[in-house]
Amino acid sequence: MDHDLVVRQKMTERYLLDELGPEARDEFEGHFFDCPDCASDVRGCAIFVEHSKFALAKKSESIPGGVAAAAIPSKPGWLAGLRSALRPAFAVPVLAGLLAVIGYQNLVTYPQMQHALSRPQLLPWASVNVGTYGSEGPVVTTRRGEGFLLFVRIPPDGSYSRYAAELYDPAGKAEWSLTIPAASAQDTSAQDQWPVRVPGANRAAGSYTLAVRGITASGESKEVGRAIFELQIQQ
Amino acid sequence: MQFHSFDEAYVDRLRAGDFRTHEHFGEYFSTLIQVKLRSRLQSREAIEDVRQETFARFYAALHEGKILHPERLGSFVNSICNNVLLEHYRTSARHSSIEDEEKDVRACAIDLLGLLSARETEKKVLEVLDQLSERDRRLLREVFLEERDKDEVCRDFGVDREYLRVLLHRAKQSFKSVYLKRTGNDSAEFKTA
Repeated sequence: MDHDLVVRQKMTERYLLDELGPEARDEFEGHFFDCPDCASDVRGCAIFVEHSKFALAKKSESIPGGVAAAAIPSKPGWLAGLRSALRPAFAVPVLAGLLAVIGYQNLVTYPQMQHALSRPQLLPWASVNVGTYGSEGPVVTTRRGEGFLLFVRIPPDGSYSRYAAELYDPAGKAEWSLTIPAASAQDTSAQDQWPVRVPGANRAAGSYTLAVRGITASGESKEVGRAIFELQIQQ
Repeated sequence: MQFHSFDEAYVDRLRAGDFRTHEHFGEYFSTLIQVKLRSRLQSREAIEDVRQETFARFYAALHEGKILHPERLGSFVNSICNNVLLEHYRTSARHSSIEDEEKDVRACAIDLLGLLSARETEKKVLEVLDQLSERDRRLLREVFLEERDKDEVCRDFGVDREYLRVLLHRAKQSFKSVYLKRTGNDSAEFKTA
């Protein structure tokens, strides 16, 4: 697909308005995956469209219903039902609660997050080797709510196309699952240790288990090993 | 580090496991894949499944030396995504009972960057929408929020489809201009290769 044609015919807008037929859509996707300018255009437009939905929903609450409805007829959507439910006796306490939450987020939570994001951080870390079995593992000491790094070593095995790593808490409950690409057993320079950032959360101290399953190209899976580490929480 | 077009050096850095290159690759193609899949798959879980499988297969191909044209890295990723999507269509119904048994617990990490970026982005979008006429805002609302048939909406508003495209085009250009003015040319949303 010619780039000038894409720009001239506003392909990005047509694409996001779902105006392209299947062939043209596939062709345009083939183009923007390779064209940085069009990729940026598609990305920007898609982000604008997604955020507009929320912004437009908020703005619609401030339009006087009678004037707007007379000027531009439209099919009553779910907002009409929502408006009828927002009677003062119900709405005022709910809105007061929402304002309190929004206020706390804007004054406390977001500034703290922004501060944390803008500063470099030293994170606690531990190295775990999935290929060995044993009852003891390394100790990671964190503060409450602080994340940490796990350097996960998985011995290369050419049988698998990828791995799935699952973290279990001290109670044996699965917290999350993560896909890790597989290194080739033949390529000795291939990466076999993966840095995993475990995000901060309200975790209990104790023994955690990282279970890794290998998954073949045909979708069969088999556990390749487990690694245990001890999490200690500093008060 | 300055990222250039996708080329052999970029692929070499990916293969060597350079963290920042991996991060760039993931950010760059994740959004494109999600935009591509939004009209084809219904659930976030399905989109995430296909996205992860696409990346896993890409990295497998990378380490097997199957990337013969680094300058066409994007096409390669797109092709893998198309294949994964076809397989997903074929197998999703057949394997639904198996998927129920082996519940894949998704990593529910709070993405700090994503959360803050969404708030900043929303502010910019509101700025752009405020510059539009009330009529144009309602037009966009009917199309994107209420998801009415676009031909019907255009008839109701007395405009044609080209007007709708131009409206979206101008809004997008304003948004990009406002966003880049505030965050600089290195913003994640508009990061080029």
